[in-house]
Amino acid sequence: MVKVTLKRVLSKKEVSSMVAGIIEVTGPPLSIYDADSSLLIGDGSDKSDRYSVKLAGEEIGWVTGNGNGSSVAALLTLLAGRELTEKSLANETLENYKEINLLYNVSEKMVGCLDSKEVTKLIIDEALGIIKGSCASALLLDEKTGRLDTVYATGKPRTMSPDAEAMKPGEGIAGNVFLTGQGEIINDVMSDPRFVKRANDIRSLICAPFKTKDKVLGVICISSTEPVTYTAHDLKLLSALALQGAIAIENARLYEELRETFLATVQTLAEAVEKRDPYTAGHTIRVMTYSLVVGDALRLSKKEMRDLELSAILHDIGKIGIRDIVLLKEGKLTDEEYKIMTTHSELGAEILRHIKQLNDMIPGVRGHHEKYNGSGYPDGLHGEDIPFIARIIAVADAFDAMTTDRPYRKGMNVKAAFAELKMCAGIQFDKDVVNAFMKVYDTPTYSALFNKQEGGLDVEEGTDSR
Amino acid sequence: MSKKVLIVDDEPHIRILLEQTIEEFADKGVEILTSGNGKEALEIIKIERPAIIYLDATLPGMNGYDVCNIVKNDLKLKNVYIVMLTARGQEFDKQRGVMAGADVYMTKPFNPDAIIEKTSEVLGIKL
Repeated sequence: MVKVTLKRVLSKKEVSSMVAGIIEVTGPPLSIYDADSSLLIGDGSDKSDRYSVKLAGEEIGWVTGNGNGSSVAALLTLLAGRELTEKSLANETLENYKEINLLYNVSEKMVGCLDSKEVTKLIIDEALGIIKGSCASALLLDEKTGRLDTVYATGKPRTMSPDAEAMKPGEGIAGNVFLTGQGEIINDVMSDPRFVKRANDIRSLICAPFKTKDKVLGVICISSTEPVTYTAHDLKLLSALALQGAIAIENARLYEELRETFLATVQTLAEAVEKRDPYTAGHTIRVMTYSLVVGDALRLSKKEMRDLELSAILHDIGKIGIRDIVLLKEGKLTDEEYKIMTTHSELGAEILRHIKQLNDMIPGVRGHHEKYNGSGYPDGLHGEDIPFIARIIAVADAFDAMTTDRPYRKGMNVKAAFAELKMCAGIQFDKDVVNAFMKVYDTPTYSALFNKQEGGLDVEEGTDSR
Repeated sequence: MSKKVLIVDDEPHIRILLEQTIEEFADKGVEILTSGNGKEALEIIKIERPAIIYLDATLPGMNGYDVCNIVKNDLKLKNVYIVMLTARGQEFDKQRGVMAGADVYMTKPFNPDAIIEKTSEVLGIKL
């Protein structure tokens, strides 16, 4: 790669002035020629002996001149050698620079990346920037099926369906790398007995494992349809990338697991309340579903949707502190009983106070019985002062209460419930929330949800014998 | 348009590395000039009028910001494209570079591909 010409050596200020100095001291004639016989210095008039300037055994030019030709040629040989060393070292360092930049970029981008597919895509895109290849893929072990699934692939050729590329550990070269946890270079795949020929037509392959401290999660492969000589250096680099990737993938998985556990815990908490009051069975999930439908229509952010989801699940959690005699009473509550019942919003907020991760849900839980005109409880908040999550849950909660059967009354049908919501919009409910909910009712996306509900109610109405 | 590139860094190895990075441009008739200090660099800029300068921020004596400031305030020179080079992570330096009028700033260890791309863009030469 590195090439040094005599012309380049002489173009250096220090060198040209040194040669000029020598000619001045010893006197002409002296001529210097490049490898292609073009004259670089002098007038070419002297026809004396020719002295080679050599670099790594090859002549890169020559010098003529009886008096000083040989010493100038020796000097230039030395300088050209120096130049070559310098350039080679510089090239080596530049390669390292590229790698540092690559690894730096990858780790910078991977910070906060909590999706395994996203991680593999990032690594493959960066890797292909520095390692030659026509296609690349990342395979991760699916613990349920025990197969290696292609989670991300790029370049040509590739099979479009991930299923077609799912393979067992131990199968093919990638499957072997997965089992051994050792990266491999196969510069001629045809001569490797493990190679499983698929739709694609590759010639060379480099493969590294996504390895964590105690297990292999999957592999990353870069392959080429042209024969390529991958080097140990390429493998080292790919392995370094895969190592970073494995950490990020594991992180993403742990995060997902944590989130699921958290969600399940919250749901269990909510279910504890439902179990005490069979008439509210399913209420929590329905309120959550309606709330999310509205949140989606209002284009809430991801974080707001998450908070809304958890707040909706937890909105009645305070009922855990309401005595059975009040909570399970059939028929109208007395004023005193009603007063006890209303404490559930505050109780709920009180319970959540102890869990840091649930503190963001307090406003939605505490405020879900507030009314737009300020006549609600517990704080009598007005309009926009009511936390917006609470305003959404209030609508969803009321809608579900209206459309569900209670021991003392039948549930309304969906149409009637919507009419009721509309009537109370701006008084009890936030107009915008009600409007968003009504709009959703008209769209095909969610009509399935309500049709099912309405259908169920209709049947019940028809067969009701009470 | 000038086909000259000036590299200014007090560390000889950085000069060599930058030179080597853009070496392929030399085959396309681009002249690569180097300097190890701000004062000399300014003289070279005035005489040679390079199209693009890779300028280290921290130079002994007159530093890179000063050089940049002078060049960008000189009507005859202000079109010279200046790439300021600073150590990675020094956000404060980046701010100073922008204030001094640098066209772009890059961190060291520099990304060779970014240097090639920028040189190619400014000189209008494809490799």
